[in-house]
Amino acid sequence: MSTKRPLVENLDSGVSESAPIASGLDIPLPYDVLFNEVPCYISIQDRELRILRTNRRFRESFGTKDGLYCYQIYKDRTEKCPVCVVEKTFRDGKSHKSEETWFRQDGTQVEVIVYTTPIYGESGDIVAVMEMSTDITEVKTLQRRLKESQERLAYLFEEVPCYISIQDREFRIVRVNRRFREDFGDGIGNRCYSVYKHRQEECLICPVEQTFSDGQVHTSEEVVISKEGEPIHVLVSTAPIRNRHGEISHVMEMSTNISEIRRLQSRLESLGLLVGSISHSIKGLLTGLDGGVYFLNSGFEKNDMARIRKGWEMLERNVGKIRTMILDLLYYAKEREPVWEPVIPLELAHSVSDLFEGKSEKMGISFQKCFADDMKPFQGDLDSLHSMLVTILENSIDACRMDRAKKDHFIRFSVWQSADDTFFEIEDNGIGMDRETREKLFCMFFSSKGVEGTGLGLFIANKIAAMHGGKISVESSVREGSVFLVRIPLMRF
Amino acid sequence: MERKKILVIEDQEDTLAYLTVLLEDNGYLAVGARDGAEGLEKAREEVPDAITLDVSMPEKSGIKTLQELQKDPVTKGIPVVIVTGLSDDFRHYIHHRRQIAPPAGYISKPIDKKELLDTLRKILS
Repeated sequence: MSTKRPLVENLDSGVSESAPIASGLDIPLPYDVLFNEVPCYISIQDRELRILRTNRRFRESFGTKDGLYCYQIYKDRTEKCPVCVVEKTFRDGKSHKSEETWFRQDGTQVEVIVYTTPIYGESGDIVAVMEMSTDITEVKTLQRRLKESQERLAYLFEEVPCYISIQDREFRIVRVNRRFREDFGDGIGNRCYSVYKHRQEECLICPVEQTFSDGQVHTSEEVVISKEGEPIHVLVSTAPIRNRHGEISHVMEMSTNISEIRRLQSRLESLGLLVGSISHSIKGLLTGLDGGVYFLNSGFEKNDMARIRKGWEMLERNVGKIRTMILDLLYYAKEREPVWEPVIPLELAHSVSDLFEGKSEKMGISFQKCFADDMKPFQGDLDSLHSMLVTILENSIDACRMDRAKKDHFIRFSVWQSADDTFFEIEDNGIGMDRETREKLFCMFFSSKGVEGTGLGLFIANKIAAMHGGKISVESSVREGSVFLVRIPLMRF
Repeated sequence: MERKKILVIEDQEDTLAYLTVLLEDNGYLAVGARDGAEGLEKAREEVPDAITLDVSMPEKSGIKTLQELQKDPVTKGIPVVIVTGLSDDFRHYIHHRRQIAPPAGYISKPIDKKELLDTLRKILS
């Protein structure tokens, strides 16, 4: 079909209301029926944008005033619009499309999508343009509501006062909110456990994994590490996100920072939590005691002295560990006022090292001392400082004992002073620590020693250093060893 | 009769000594491993009749070790008994973990000697 064939043969015959359906013809043509009944607004306009003809639907909504310009009729304007698709069609002979807002004669607003088509005269020139407009008010309203609702959701997601991440089945982070980005960085594409915990492998018990498995909400309490290296206690809650087939495609993990709550919790509540968290350490120690008793009994039965000796050693070792654990618990449970007195660094260093020299030798660990001899006394709580150094040295012994990659081990205990501080340094070449362990080292209830640790020792040691206005810093590498440096100021403020 | 071989994977040295001697005293041939990596190596070398596996170990955890044992064609058929001081929730959890087939048995710490020996006898019969 030629596009230049005249589409309207008698334009003069039908202008607005005065035009009957038949447009001057005796018998209504299918064309006229279609023109009038089609469910959109149709107008035919000349080059001046004057309305030459309209359909019934148009007239019902916008009136039947003759010879008016289109912009007067539905835009309530006195001059033509800056961008006019009818003019464009007159210019280039092509169809154009636009979305516009019109006003009905009753003053109500209607959103329309406008299409234009050129109408050619017999000479092949464009004599008029047909403008067909579909009412999309409902669609627009729904679109607007959808957009508003999406914006509200996005705002909530971004601004809710907790960390949110969306994770796929590989625990890869696909989306995070503002709070998450601020404290943990972008994290997109990285695995949750590497961003949150700086771990190389997935966590032993993971609520996201549980939600992927059973589609239920799961909660847990965790200690995570911010991008600045600060440990943050969080209460984690997970929820499944399903695709349109109902399958769980992602899991949303929401974590509330409860560090402040933890700090403010009463000591009694913390103690209750402690008992829960150390229960499996106690079970390990009880197994060790059971083992010692078994060695002793079976040694007596078989008259096997080596077995009796081994059983006795096991009993001694496990009783010692239980003793340490109970003392830590008692220290933590009871608010103790420090006893400030002059502390002579050399005497403190010797009294601590006396406890470890024999023990290390027995375990084949070389114990080296390097104490400066011109150190001044400082004000401190002798008992707690002693306990702090014993804890750190016990950790070093454990680190050497657990390391089977190296044959020879050493612990170097050094003490010296600067003009303002006393330094106690304990270096070992044991198993060392990864980043996650290093960063959580001083957190309550965190232990890298499995059933052998309570997660209290270094927490308390750190508190003791802080109580003296000092600090413990740690450097460590996996399989190479660790250095603990305790700084205690000479002047107490 | 040839003695059945049991591999004990346990990082706590007293518990390792206890379990190996207990098993030896009860007619088994016990082989010890002090962590997950050594346990996997010995499982491949020795191909024991059963394995007892601790869960909470530094570096390679018992869960990771169990996963790798189950993936290796040499070791995947060996029954594993989890020996753990962790709670029953953990036992429930491992049963719902999709990447890990449930182990042959669980023993809680502190270890009940009779329960351990009965479990092994049942698994190996």
